[in-house]
Amino acid sequence: MKLAWQNIIHDRGRFSVTVLGVCFAVFLMIFQGSLLAGFLRAASRLIDASDSDIWITSRGVQAFEFGTTLESRVREMAAGVPGVVETGRVCMAFAVYRTPSGTQQVIALVGADPNVGRRFPVPNVPESAGETSPDAVFYDVSDRKQMDVSSLPAEVEINRHRASIEREIEGYGAFLGVPFLFTSYRNATRYMGFGRDDAMYILLRVGNGYPVSDVQQNLRQRLPEVDVLTQSEFAHKSRMYWTMKTGAGGAILTAGVLAFLIGLVVVSQTIYANTMENIEEYATLKALGASQTFVARIVLSQALICGVLGSILGLLAAIPSIGYAKSLIPWIYAPWWLPAVMVVPSLFMCSLASIASVRSALTVEPGRVFRA
Amino acid sequence: MPDHFLGVEGASVSFGKGDARVPALRDISLSFERGALALVMGPSGSGKTTLLSMLGCLLSPDEGTVFVDGVAVNALSESRKTEIRQKKISFVFQAFRLFHSLSAIDNVAVGFEIRDSGEPRRMEMARDLLLQFGLGNKLNQEPNQLSPGEKQRVAIARALAGNPPILLADEPTASLDAKAGKNICEILRNQASENGRTVVVVSHDPRWREFADRTITLCDGQVEQEVNS
Repeated sequence: MKLAWQNIIHDRGRFSVTVLGVCFAVFLMIFQGSLLAGFLRAASRLIDASDSDIWITSRGVQAFEFGTTLESRVREMAAGVPGVVETGRVCMAFAVYRTPSGTQQVIALVGADPNVGRRFPVPNVPESAGETSPDAVFYDVSDRKQMDVSSLPAEVEINRHRASIEREIEGYGAFLGVPFLFTSYRNATRYMGFGRDDAMYILLRVGNGYPVSDVQQNLRQRLPEVDVLTQSEFAHKSRMYWTMKTGAGGAILTAGVLAFLIGLVVVSQTIYANTMENIEEYATLKALGASQTFVARIVLSQALICGVLGSILGLLAAIPSIGYAKSLIPWIYAPWWLPAVMVVPSLFMCSLASIASVRSALTVEPGRVFRA
Repeated sequence: MPDHFLGVEGASVSFGKGDARVPALRDISLSFERGALALVMGPSGSGKTTLLSMLGCLLSPDEGTVFVDGVAVNALSESRKTEIRQKKISFVFQAFRLFHSLSAIDNVAVGFEIRDSGEPRRMEMARDLLLQFGLGNKLNQEPNQLSPGEKQRVAIARALAGNPPILLADEPTASLDAKAGKNICEILRNQASENGRTVVVVSHDPRWREFADRTITLCDGQVEQEVNS
């Protein structure tokens, strides 16, 4: 396939433009893919951070951020269902945050019992007990600027209550445009003005030997006025809400598809121009006995050469760029498999782009070789 | 037909449609012997290139039959004709038609690749062929760095890659000076007499007469004269 390679690099300017076009398309696809992956992950991050098997929410709650309070009897009834070994509570509400310098802003305050999960970012979880006070408030490092605190611990106000910010955490940055603050359940209800037994979410842990689906079914029968979802069901529901119902996921996907189309147009134009420029050579090949497969392989190889080189450059550009983008978009996330998976659509894009060129090369009349 | 190795029988070809239809060949029958060089001459429009296209399985006659290695090829599928070209026929062109981005040796190697993609020694074999034609010092030159005579020798080497028994040449010396043209005549002559190939040369160039075993003159799509040397 030396002919394919030599033909494509013979016009270095055009070759460079094509490779850059693919690179740009791959870069955008990876970047948009990372935005989507990060968005999906952020949309259910707190749900995924819990260790519970079942979430009870008010009827019709679409996402974690939009919970409403449940009656206290729900928790008591749930605790009495066979198989439920532990219950925990989570609440979330928007609150007014006031810094020591007097600036105010809205924050999303999350409170949780210590038993909801080891990864859940609240004080008093067994792993970090003793490191902070029981009523400490945490914020994500990416929101430091908005928090406007010069050192920790810092005394601030949340809904006119004094609060002590004691720690920066990572991975729970602003997703709604307002920073998340995390504290104990007891503390959160105090700041929010909730009753001591109010809860937005009741989290249940199911004992060994009890199928989660059976316990879920039982709970649904006993508590028909609320939604009883497994952790993965609620996470999925939350992700679907943010990506599909708000249109955010569609917007990110559209940008990814546009990147694919840009790459498609760039590669198809170049490969087509290259094929037409060398159409006499394809006629010569066919006259000399080259099979259709042989001819198609040359054109396809040219497209794939552009695809592979463009993909490599796109990957090399995307990985550090995503790292840099984290400072601006804290929830952006590139899973390890994403760059590798994106090579597949980019090669598909190049193959698709070569179809018109392959057709031209295959249909050229070998008899034209005798025309001087 | 005494020998159906390569030839046409009762072949007619026309181009165009309706009133614009122009006959290129009219009911001609010709046979080309193994190991001989046949020269086809005639004025422009006499049907020389059309005959060469038919013999090379690049064009099917409207009527009549084309034989290649004893097989009537008209009715064969395009892929079968491609296979016949791949195994048995090769071409030399007036405009050389070398692959512009490849070196001389790579051009010849493509000839081997087309005929036997699994041949691992194709670069070595391409080198040997170019050495035979005195191009040992031009192996890595691209076509635009070669003289017309050298280009044609590379083109002949490419045509001979895979050892096809039939070589069809269309005005192979038209773009060459006298010395280079004579060299090409000698090379093709040797391919017939020493390597047993059937060589058909279409040319206006009268120098070819002394190298040909037989000269066929076409006029208005018909055989006007056949002379054995």
